[in-house]
Amino acid sequence: MVVAVKSRTRILWVTALFSVAVLFPAPASAYIGPGAGFAFAGSLLVLVATVLLAGVTILTWPITLLYRLMRVGNPYKNAKTRRVVVIGFDGMDPKMAFRLIQEGRLPNLKRLAEQGVFRTLETTTPSMSPVAWSTFATGVDASRHRIFDFITRDPCTCAPILSSTDIRAAKRSLRLGRYVIPIDQPRIKLLQRSEWFWKHLGDKHIASIIQRVPITFPPKPFNGLMLSGMCVPDMRGSQGTFSFFTTRSEDGGTAFEGGEQTLLRRTDKNKGIGKSGKGQGERFRTRIVGPENTMLKTGGRMTLPMTLTVAEDSGSVLVEVDGLDSFSLKPRVYSFWKRLSFRAMPGVKVHGIARFYLVEVGEEISLYLTPIQIDPENPAMPISHPKAYSIYLAKKIGLFGTLGLAEDTWALNERVIDEQAFLQQANLLYEEREKMFWDALQKTKRGLVTTVFDTTDRVQHMFYRYLDPTHPANEGKDTTEHRDAIAQAYVQADELVGKTLAAIGGTDTTLCVISDHGFTNFRRGVNLNAWMRDEGYLVLKEGTTSGDWLENVDWAKTRAFSLGLAGIFINRKGREKCGIVAEGEEYRTLVTEIQEKLEALKDPKTGESAIRSVDIAESFFDGPYRFDAPDLMVGYDVGYRSSWDCAKGAVTQEAFVDNTKSWSGDHCVDPEIVPGVLFCNRPIVTDKPRLVDMPFSIMKLFGQEPPGYMQGRMIFADGEKMAEVFGVIPIDQLDQRGAVQGTMAHVDWAGNENESVAS
Amino acid sequence: MNALNHITSAIFDVLMAPWGHGVPLVDLSLWSILAAVLALVVYKRVSNQEGIARTKDKIKMHLMEIRLWRHDLGLVFASMARILGNNAIYIAFNLVPMFVLGPPMMVVLFQLEANFSHAPSPVGTVNTLRVTLTEGTEAKVTDITLELPPGVLLDAPPVRTPDREAFWRLRALAPGDHVLILRAGEQTLSKGWAVGGEHRKVPIKRTRSLEALLYPGEAGIPADSPFYSAELTYPERDFPFLPDGEMGILVIFMIISLVAAYSLKGVFGVSL
Repeated sequence: MVVAVKSRTRILWVTALFSVAVLFPAPASAYIGPGAGFAFAGSLLVLVATVLLAGVTILTWPITLLYRLMRVGNPYKNAKTRRVVVIGFDGMDPKMAFRLIQEGRLPNLKRLAEQGVFRTLETTTPSMSPVAWSTFATGVDASRHRIFDFITRDPCTCAPILSSTDIRAAKRSLRLGRYVIPIDQPRIKLLQRSEWFWKHLGDKHIASIIQRVPITFPPKPFNGLMLSGMCVPDMRGSQGTFSFFTTRSEDGGTAFEGGEQTLLRRTDKNKGIGKSGKGQGERFRTRIVGPENTMLKTGGRMTLPMTLTVAEDSGSVLVEVDGLDSFSLKPRVYSFWKRLSFRAMPGVKVHGIARFYLVEVGEEISLYLTPIQIDPENPAMPISHPKAYSIYLAKKIGLFGTLGLAEDTWALNERVIDEQAFLQQANLLYEEREKMFWDALQKTKRGLVTTVFDTTDRVQHMFYRYLDPTHPANEGKDTTEHRDAIAQAYVQADELVGKTLAAIGGTDTTLCVISDHGFTNFRRGVNLNAWMRDEGYLVLKEGTTSGDWLENVDWAKTRAFSLGLAGIFINRKGREKCGIVAEGEEYRTLVTEIQEKLEALKDPKTGESAIRSVDIAESFFDGPYRFDAPDLMVGYDVGYRSSWDCAKGAVTQEAFVDNTKSWSGDHCVDPEIVPGVLFCNRPIVTDKPRLVDMPFSIMKLFGQEPPGYMQGRMIFADGEKMAEVFGVIPIDQLDQRGAVQGTMAHVDWAGNENESVAS
Repeated sequence: MNALNHITSAIFDVLMAPWGHGVPLVDLSLWSILAAVLALVVYKRVSNQEGIARTKDKIKMHLMEIRLWRHDLGLVFASMARILGNNAIYIAFNLVPMFVLGPPMMVVLFQLEANFSHAPSPVGTVNTLRVTLTEGTEAKVTDITLELPPGVLLDAPPVRTPDREAFWRLRALAPGDHVLILRAGEQTLSKGWAVGGEHRKVPIKRTRSLEALLYPGEAGIPADSPFYSAELTYPERDFPFLPDGEMGILVIFMIISLVAAYSLKGVFGVSL
């Protein structure tokens, strides 16, 4: 984690105060000390700032207007709409939406479809959020924006790296005793290529507010406002590391996947009162582990002392953290966002925010702390463009979660929190995003508003097992209480659409509700590395077993390996550090051989086909970055996905394994199985709209010519092309292959009694 | 008033004993910082901290609105109106702490002025002692006599006016804290005159009204005295780069106390 230098606000205040006192000595005669001074200085500064800011704005407004008119003319001259509102519901599945519309639970989405259209929206290959939303942002496929997966390998080191962002410490620093003071900014680089379409709109002075679209961290400057979404790290630089403090385990310090556990030790001395003297009862002292201290020569993580004092009636816990007002926490209720300030060196603090959640209190004490996220009011790393936008939002709606994957799926996977706690957390985050969205909608009278809501995706990932009574993940877990959670997430989305329809009523606004992909069941994991070992494509060093991240792989003998969720990399000469497969015939023979074998691969337990299609990247993609893609894009069939271990580059004993994690639904399968949705209040010209068409079409709606490299086409009426596709999608156009086994298998899609369509 | 002046003067004298009246800027800075700390402690207790923080956040938010949506004039005007509205709320939130903090801060200021705003009269200088009799008193202005200590010379005969005022032009011949004795019948009144020597608290005026609070350098005049006030003038103290005398003290006190308060507000956890 990179430590940012503290803001200069205080210096500015002091300078301003001094200036006011020197420039306006007259008020000094009425001065009766700091009491009056606070009011005087505060209100005078506000007045001065307001007058200056407003004056500059008003005075420069005609000049900027004139400049704009001379440069681009009236940007809306050829626009077919005044405003485009895109609501992205990550992972909203057309089949699920169709089913719930049939059941009458999504009246607003139905109304939207009847005003315009509801169709499936062809997703990207591979069908993952980083890839698909990058395509939405840029209007090109993965081989042009270079995002193929969440993670990839560094061909120079074979080490795993994030596909989207490269974060490195500042190049130049000053060493002062035990401290290292960065002289320049830390290097944070977005690895996504191509250009965002809202940048093109901004260049033409068409206003945009973009909120939480994935793979927009760090934000690039453009003429508009943006808040980054998925892939914004937490304060530890990870994609989300929770903390769990408990008396339950005797092996304190256990590392969870996606989190850390700290043992709360019981001692005789634990009885007493809290530091503040408020709490009575058992007391535990521990530390909250924060980000790496890059300002300390010896490094190490910054920590904050925390004291937990159990109330005498065991009904709550008093939480005392350095630098924070103490607060009482009742079980199973999230605290508000709390600001945690870690001291990097004297005078320099790094701010993060987190919520506390008391899992249990009584015989045992367990406290869950969300990943410590970047404070939007005092961001340690840029999370918005301009920087002031996240500060503005925090002041407008209160502190909000900034982590890319803010809904803590790993905490539920590891059973640190239960389904109820997860849903509470997801709903709190949803409410924050809804407030942001309303503000954007209210502020944008003309232009583009795009907000992505993640709840649908996260809830489907974590609750899909409820739809499938025979899901392997159900063992030992509740299977009834939250059976309706996914439907509820869709209903919540539907309510937002209803409110949006009401808000835009009477205005010339095009409303698009889209998703990046659909969803399906994830029952069985396939470890491609294990399969390739069995087939002789991957070789482990003699006498070793595999670890994570391709540890102990014998690169001199390995021809293919898998990392991440997208597919298989060939150990190509000239590309990989220890490449052994020559380009040309040898390469082509190998990929074809693996492709054929994989397409015939059967699950030994069920006898089902695990993989529906395998695409060879070289022939599938034609963009300039196809060389960076996994060489074989593996499209799993319904119920299958790359196993958890395989995604981490491990080679397990068995190639097939049951998925027993709460994360029981997925979309990293054959893209044909999981198209997204398009609901729009305008009819369209094609039955098969694609995600890649969206930016192209939005630019066209604003009367702007999309740049030549964009791969989409106009899906709305344009010129002689009439919009003849409208209304709710016909049932025969829904991809039935995506229907999940279990509950969804019995859905009566066509309204016919007992007709199963799932097979 | 006398008691208050005695107490505050005693406190000031004790606190100032270690560093005296050496470098006025340093002394004033220390007092200003001390006043700021006191103000912060009191302000935190008596103000609606939550309301102030909320209002300030709203103001900042609207300022950012102007910056972020500068192309939208309607929004700019709306934000300006909201800023002004919130500014009024902010001032309202400050009324209570202002009233609570006002009196003690005034006392501090009066002490600072008594201690730092004027320099002792230089030796050889001519000063005018102005004495006013209380309205309605039986004593006449012609009855007042002045007894001079050694080192002070009457420079010209006294001037007495019909509106109960008398003036003596005096010359300081020697340094010291001279005591002038005024007599009106049986009643006497002493008046100090600081001449030459180190910087110190100078006795400017003795008076019997509320104004006595402004001059803690000497005791106030008792209510039964025929004298209403006795006053000398002193040269204003010179502050580099700032106005001289009282105004200089006010400016220094204002700047240093505000800067200190704003710098230390984080330490005390106060929203200003």
